[in-house]
Amino acid sequence: MNYELSDAHKGLRAEMGKFCREEIAPGAALFDEAPPEEAAARMRSNLKKLAGTGFLNLLLGEDLLGSCVAGEELARVCPSTYLAAVSSATAFGRTVKRFSTDTQQERYLPLLAAGERIGAFACTEREAGSDLAGMQTAAEGKDGRWILNGEKDLVTNAPLADFFLVLAWTDREAGLERGMTLFLIDREAIGMTIGRPLETMGLRGAATAGIRLENCSVTDEALLGGSVGAGWDRMQALLEEIKLALSVLCVGVGMACMEESTRHAKAKKAFGKPIGLFEGVGAKLATMFTLNDIGRMMTCRAAWAMEQKDPEGPVLASCAKLFTSEAAGRIADLAMQVHGGHGYLKGAAVERLYRDARFAELAYGTSEMQRAFIARDSLDRFRAA
Amino acid sequence: MDFAISDEQRMFRDTVYRFAREEIAPLCEEADLNSEFSFEVWRKFGEMGLLGLPVPEKYGGSGADFVTSCLAGEAVGHAGVDGGHTLAWGAHTYLCAANIMQHGTEAQKEKYLPKLSTGEWIGCMGLTEPGCGSDAAALTTTAVRKGDKYILNGSKTFITNAPLAEVFIIFATLDKAKKHKGITTFIVERGFPGISTGKPMHKLGCRASETSEVFLEECEVPVENCLGGEGNGWLIALGGVEWDRSTLVAPFLGGQTFILESCARYANQRMAFNRPIREFQSIQNRIADMKVYLEAARLAVYRIAASKDSGVALNPLTAAVNKMYLGDRGFEMSSAAVDLFGGYGYIHDYPVERFLRDAKLGQLGGGTSDIMRMIVARFMMM
Repeated sequence: MNYELSDAHKGLRAEMGKFCREEIAPGAALFDEAPPEEAAARMRSNLKKLAGTGFLNLLLGEDLLGSCVAGEELARVCPSTYLAAVSSATAFGRTVKRFSTDTQQERYLPLLAAGERIGAFACTEREAGSDLAGMQTAAEGKDGRWILNGEKDLVTNAPLADFFLVLAWTDREAGLERGMTLFLIDREAIGMTIGRPLETMGLRGAATAGIRLENCSVTDEALLGGSVGAGWDRMQALLEEIKLALSVLCVGVGMACMEESTRHAKAKKAFGKPIGLFEGVGAKLATMFTLNDIGRMMTCRAAWAMEQKDPEGPVLASCAKLFTSEAAGRIADLAMQVHGGHGYLKGAAVERLYRDARFAELAYGTSEMQRAFIARDSLDRFRAA
Repeated sequence: MDFAISDEQRMFRDTVYRFAREEIAPLCEEADLNSEFSFEVWRKFGEMGLLGLPVPEKYGGSGADFVTSCLAGEAVGHAGVDGGHTLAWGAHTYLCAANIMQHGTEAQKEKYLPKLSTGEWIGCMGLTEPGCGSDAAALTTTAVRKGDKYILNGSKTFITNAPLAEVFIIFATLDKAKKHKGITTFIVERGFPGISTGKPMHKLGCRASETSEVFLEECEVPVENCLGGEGNGWLIALGGVEWDRSTLVAPFLGGQTFILESCARYANQRMAFNRPIREFQSIQNRIADMKVYLEAARLAVYRIAASKDSGVALNPLTAAVNKMYLGDRGFEMSSAAVDLFGGYGYIHDYPVERFLRDAKLGQLGGGTSDIMRMIVARFMMM
């Protein structure tokens, strides 16, 4: 048993931290008010720079712990850029890496790792989020082609993505576990339309939109891994990895909140002393520290279990995501309180972080869904014989 | 990073778990109900080698490392052994025997460790006083050197195991003006003139452990019973925290596992409105929160144990984080377990009632959660 990061991971963290502070941090606040084209250009440039450090390639690889360690540094300075990066390299990229044919790997992954092209994952619909049974998007096999129809909602990266991983029914009768398939669809595909960027509360740099598929016709080459009906299992694998990525996002946001608050608590004086020396403010700082510290451990633990292919991996990833996302919300709230009225102003870092923090409790399985999943696992273990 | 335990550790843990479940746990609920320390439980702890777990084999102990000690603690709690007996075990082993093991002279180790390791002698530690708890440096028990003896005067309170103890680790000051640098530690035997203990206190939880005051009136302690040298008491007290934040709380962690399992079983079998209550989301939420807590708390405990085993000095920040998180969230989760059992959770027939009472100590003993937050905040404000 050893809780220390390896020297390689410590080095990675230091390097990534330096890069992010110098190259990414200065533009982080600019995403908020930027017009969509300007924001998209900045994000493309960020992803390109990140590709230059090897970060996107790291996300695509098997070193999940390394992805977490480096990812936290990015999430800490720019949560939006982190979300865009993992939406492309983890949700889209890792799934392609794990389940696609050699031809597909060659077509998508090098461009993705180089930051030349961006990926997105499209699953949610207006009437189908956690409960995919209500999904409408379907692909119909016809004359050796697949004709896709439907609308996807809340697709992170959609406004700038070049490639989409789209979940669709191929056989509704076969049910969730056999009837769904993942398709690889290009932005330029005929019948594919990208909606207008949606105005989100936080993480405004990670552009989000809906997509519409209208008689979008593709060949078998668009089937992820060339197979039909494996969508459900692959979705579960994707979700496990993206839950881990969201845990990293939350620890990063939590760390940023804590740093801003500690700085403020030292600088701001009231009644003749720094406010952090009052027990009430100090206790808030201590709570932030505790939640970040434990959240990071849970994230690393889940990453390690997943690397070991431990059957507990999915539950531990859910535990980490549930813990860190609720912790991030709480930490952001405490940070706002430590900052007082000035934290409530537009332009204050904690105001932006407060909005950014809210996302992870909703995305890729709400906290309600995580609890249901985690509870079922424990309950099933102790059924009476 | 590596979160795995060795096969040897796993086997030891499983053996302890089975033994505790079959031989010890059945004795515990009644002992708690009657607020009675069970010498039978104590003997069985000794039989299993638990009472001298970290003590080297040459002094009659089991020579276990921190991680193994935590695993054994977790196994005993997981088996359903009550918090009173595990507290008595912890205070004896980690606050008394481990202090002698770490700071004692060869003669002290040879004299005390073998009988502490078998459990023939019960040990305790006296730091807290009626007038000072978390602010331990303010202690007022005095020690004065007189020839080949120290004369101790003062009183200690909330001392786990005191009514039963043969060996007392007592903190006293040689010079109050020197503040914490005057604090010195002594090994006091029950047979020394001038030491006595009060009546066992009636406690909210951990009831099978006996707790009382310790009175020192012109108590005569031979000079060779000074532990770790004059003026080093404060460092010894701080060092104890390393055990306190890992091995000593491990049974509580195991207890939480036991409670989660009890809750899961109950939720599977208890019916309401023609369906098992596991189908209600409010029940599921509690189970999920307990599971998340358990994973988090386990990481926190073993992080300290693993770093101790690799020879790294304890990070006081990490220690404080552990203490506060385990204590505060642990109590919330114990309360959630009572809620899950409904009315049955409020009576003694189910272990959740006992566990809720036991869990309260997590927020108080060994430094309150409030103090832990102050410690963390102080580091952050540096």
